[in-house]
Amino acid sequence: MTVDYDPALIGRVFETTEPVPVSAEQIAAFCAAISETNPIFTDEAAAKAGPFGGIVAPPSFAVTFRNGRHFFEHIPRYGKQGFDAGKDVEFVAPIRPGDAITLNSAVKEIYEKTGRTGSMVFVIVRSTLTNQKGEVVAHVDHRFMNRP
Amino acid sequence: MSNANNLTYETVQIGDALGPAEFHLSKDQVRAYAKTCGMWVPRFIDDEGARKEGLPGMITPGNMSLAILSKLVTDWAGSSGARVVRMGTTYRQPVMPDHTLTLQGFVTHKNESDRTAEMDIWIESEEGDRLVIGTATVHFPR
Repeated sequence: MTVDYDPALIGRVFETTEPVPVSAEQIAAFCAAISETNPIFTDEAAAKAGPFGGIVAPPSFAVTFRNGRHFFEHIPRYGKQGFDAGKDVEFVAPIRPGDAITLNSAVKEIYEKTGRTGSMVFVIVRSTLTNQKGEVVAHVDHRFMNRP
Repeated sequence: MSNANNLTYETVQIGDALGPAEFHLSKDQVRAYAKTCGMWVPRFIDDEGARKEGLPGMITPGNMSLAILSKLVTDWAGSSGARVVRMGTTYRQPVMPDHTLTLQGFVTHKNESDRTAEMDIWIESEEGDRLVIGTATVHFPR
């Protein structure tokens, strides 16, 4: 069985989000929530002398940026239940306090898979994160799993 | 935290272990993550809300599992300057808070041409089930 979708959907960017400012406080709150204590993420003085020349966000901060509501109106849904099945992230450059991040997202792939628990449809959405200088900081592939 | 400042591409060996690190994940910590990251929805806040969504109880956001695993790798890298350049995760089973998780991994490959090391990483439950599995690639500066 193949999944039914409009092939024109693949690769189409529906919206670019407004830039989301990244503050030092947000990075600190994120670190606190994951018990992060590495000084390169938490201590300005130590981070300055460290490999990145200042505080950077932990890499996993990159997956916290979200698509606009509008984006999801265009994403096909299969069945009632949807789950986050996993992510593949390419961390291109560190995210720093003072950055402003925009998100561009498109459907990369749609496919069906049959597992032990039955049929599943995977929708892969690729989000590209760009900072205020126009530099790409990360590519995040989200794997959404739907059960028809 | 193993702050291995002397970690370099040359000293890393295939088979080197990351962890194991035990980590008690509390409900408050999951709520703190959900609040900070704009994921304030019933399944990540309390058992009752999660049950109304058809789940056995409160669960951890996938993004938080990714963050916990990513921390295993950045703890290993310490302040050596090694940077995580790629990471992939698969959420196999829900991660429930109020449990102790074991985080671990090992180096599987080294790539001389771009000075990277690859590793398998995972989150294990108290029962020994691998709830989240993943891979990471770390780049070492010269």
